[in-house]
Amino acid sequence: MPLEDFKPSNSLTLGVELELQLLNLSDFDLTAASDDMLELLRRNSFPGAVTPEITQGMIEVATSISLGHDDLLSELRRIRDTLVLAADRLNIGVGGGGTHPFQTWQEQRITESPRFREVSTLYGYLAKQFTIFGQHIHIGCRDGDEALFLLHALNRYVPHFIALSASSPFIHGHDTMFQSSRLNSVFAFPLSGRAPAILRWDDFVNDYFAKMEHTGVVKSMKDFYWDIRPKPEFGTIELRVCDTPLTIERAAALACYLQALCHRLLGTRAPGNVVTEDDYLVYNYNRFQACRFGLDGVVVDPHSYAPISLREDILATLMTIETDAVALGCETMIEHIHGIIREGADATHLRAMFQTQGSLEGVAEYALARFRGDDC
Amino acid sequence: MTIPDFPFDIVWPVALLLAWLIGEIAYGRARIPRISSYALVGFSLGYSQLGVLPDIGSGNMLLLANIAFGLILFEAGHRINLRWLRHNPWIGFASIVESLLTFAVVYGVSRAFDTSANVALLLAALSMASSPAVVLRVINELKSSGQVTERALHLSVLNCVMAVFVFKLLVGYLVFESSGSLLQAGYKSLLVLALSVLIGATFGVTLPSLLRLLHRTRNDATLVFAISVILLVALTHYLKLSPLLATLAFGIWSRHRRVLLRRSERGFGVLGDVLSVLLFMSVAASIHWRLAASGLLLGLSIVLVRLAAKMITLGCFSYPSGISLRKGLLTGLAMAPLSVFVILVLEQTRYLGINLLEDLSALAAAALVLEIAGPLLTLLALKLARELPDKKGD
Repeated sequence: MPLEDFKPSNSLTLGVELELQLLNLSDFDLTAASDDMLELLRRNSFPGAVTPEITQGMIEVATSISLGHDDLLSELRRIRDTLVLAADRLNIGVGGGGTHPFQTWQEQRITESPRFREVSTLYGYLAKQFTIFGQHIHIGCRDGDEALFLLHALNRYVPHFIALSASSPFIHGHDTMFQSSRLNSVFAFPLSGRAPAILRWDDFVNDYFAKMEHTGVVKSMKDFYWDIRPKPEFGTIELRVCDTPLTIERAAALACYLQALCHRLLGTRAPGNVVTEDDYLVYNYNRFQACRFGLDGVVVDPHSYAPISLREDILATLMTIETDAVALGCETMIEHIHGIIREGADATHLRAMFQTQGSLEGVAEYALARFRGDDC
Repeated sequence: MTIPDFPFDIVWPVALLLAWLIGEIAYGRARIPRISSYALVGFSLGYSQLGVLPDIGSGNMLLLANIAFGLILFEAGHRINLRWLRHNPWIGFASIVESLLTFAVVYGVSRAFDTSANVALLLAALSMASSPAVVLRVINELKSSGQVTERALHLSVLNCVMAVFVFKLLVGYLVFESSGSLLQAGYKSLLVLALSVLIGATFGVTLPSLLRLLHRTRNDATLVFAISVILLVALTHYLKLSPLLATLAFGIWSRHRRVLLRRSERGFGVLGDVLSVLLFMSVAASIHWRLAASGLLLGLSIVLVRLAAKMITLGCFSYPSGISLRKGLLTGLAMAPLSVFVILVLEQTRYLGINLLEDLSALAAAALVLEIAGPLLTLLALKLARELPDKKGD
């Protein structure tokens, strides 16, 4: 089946998906509770959408199409409040964070659905190991060419999103020394990584996708686990590198950081200024720096090959996009991102919590409180 | 070495080994909960059946069984989230209605079988209680999770507490009828219960503080909790308080004082396993077939109406409490096991100078049936509710 047409969207509209953790409140481990949650949530209309994920200790929520920061944040609040209320009725904890600090993949249960069955059969333990939690941000594009332009122009900013959202320092009960260990689990999949450097939608559909489909390796865009992928049925590009942050305020800020960046990139789009394969020379290395060291990472500029501190690079970018943020009405985002630079990403707070609480259960409990919006 | 000592010391470990063996085979072949097998072996080898096992009534075995029970109850208490009852008041309502309805129907059925009013009241009180011990062992063994799992455990603990209260009240009233009033009996029972909770809560407050003082929360605290449970059971035994309430309170307070039991230490590891073989075996061994047989018909009727009362109530409360009708009914089914404390209470009342055992033969029958079938019903409920991991492990 050829790839469907790219459905035109209003440029720079926003949508956010969050994969969330469902926890047992006795031992703070993940618990297979998505069926019960969905059963209860189905009774009333849900703000946005809620769907099961690959294992039963996960649940995914999505906003509808938003125009800007305030719109997005108020919908995320309604979603969060609805979830927390339902979870309270069922004695379940719901929270963010890119990984659960001490769950073991062997204990996870695959959600009953043909697609998840298929994925589980194909990928074996990788499927259960995929019990990790990400935030996906959709940006609306007018056409496929605009989508591919943004997708590639954003590549040098991917480390920003990894470092700012990082909230997965622990995995399987151990400190990984990574700020975001979650992406290492994504990298295990054969079709993960980055999209090929193709800039015209027609070429993407007729050359690349058609060939890939012919090889029998993929059936739809869903089979690609790229960091950024086009989503023709929504008319968006989807950034998938963010860990689910501990709070929805951060989720909204990250989404608007991307929106403002795209606004700037589209505004400065010039015919001769095209992304080539060379731009990706340092891509994986930079990505690693961001995962391992977060804001302290040092990335290599793809053009000048100069080392740049990720923290400095983000601060410089914030200055550049300030007017775009104002134009989009999301100035609060600038302040929020500055806050992350000052106080550290969620991963830093989770580590600090481990020091004071002395246990990973305490870390998980802290994440639940943060998601509810409690001060701690 | 005197001759009578010799068999006693050898027979128990051999019986434990046999129970373990049969438990493993039945679980491996048909996934039958191990505690069903332990009960079956215990009953068959019991004093009044094959006569291999000596009478459990002798002090030490009863204390050991109580300790085993205490460990399980501590863990059950530790899994109780009191905040849930506040967030979802329907859970508490459902529990009260379920317990009252069970009381009423069991009383009614007993009276229909021409049981005296006093005995019918006691039967009704004891039938209220599900077994948190059985439910927890089955949950841990099968690694189930979901609403039926959570609710069966919470509701079992709640109805147990209510059953202990009503039972103590009735015993106080019925036994000392001549010498006091209901008010006085109620006061005395309340005092015993309050003291039991108080002593458990004291443990639950002091121990976590002690651990904090020693900076031991970081490491696993399971060992000291196990030792404390043993001490608590011995103490309440000695003071003639309720070990059940005390250990439950200990668990609940420790949880709410934020001391965590590691998942790997669920069920107190090997210690818990060994003691639970002993517990479920010795409880079943204490049931006399002759006695159970004489009350078999009423016993079976009690099993049925009790189960119906629980399933109907929880079915009715399913929607407002946030689950499907199906899961509500299955929660009732999962609560089928009758508390092992029934037997322990019966055993202990002997020393009070009243012989309830003969009068409550129907309960012996119900307990016997449910010691073996109860875990299977819980398993069935969890399976139908799809709260178990797949067999293949995926």
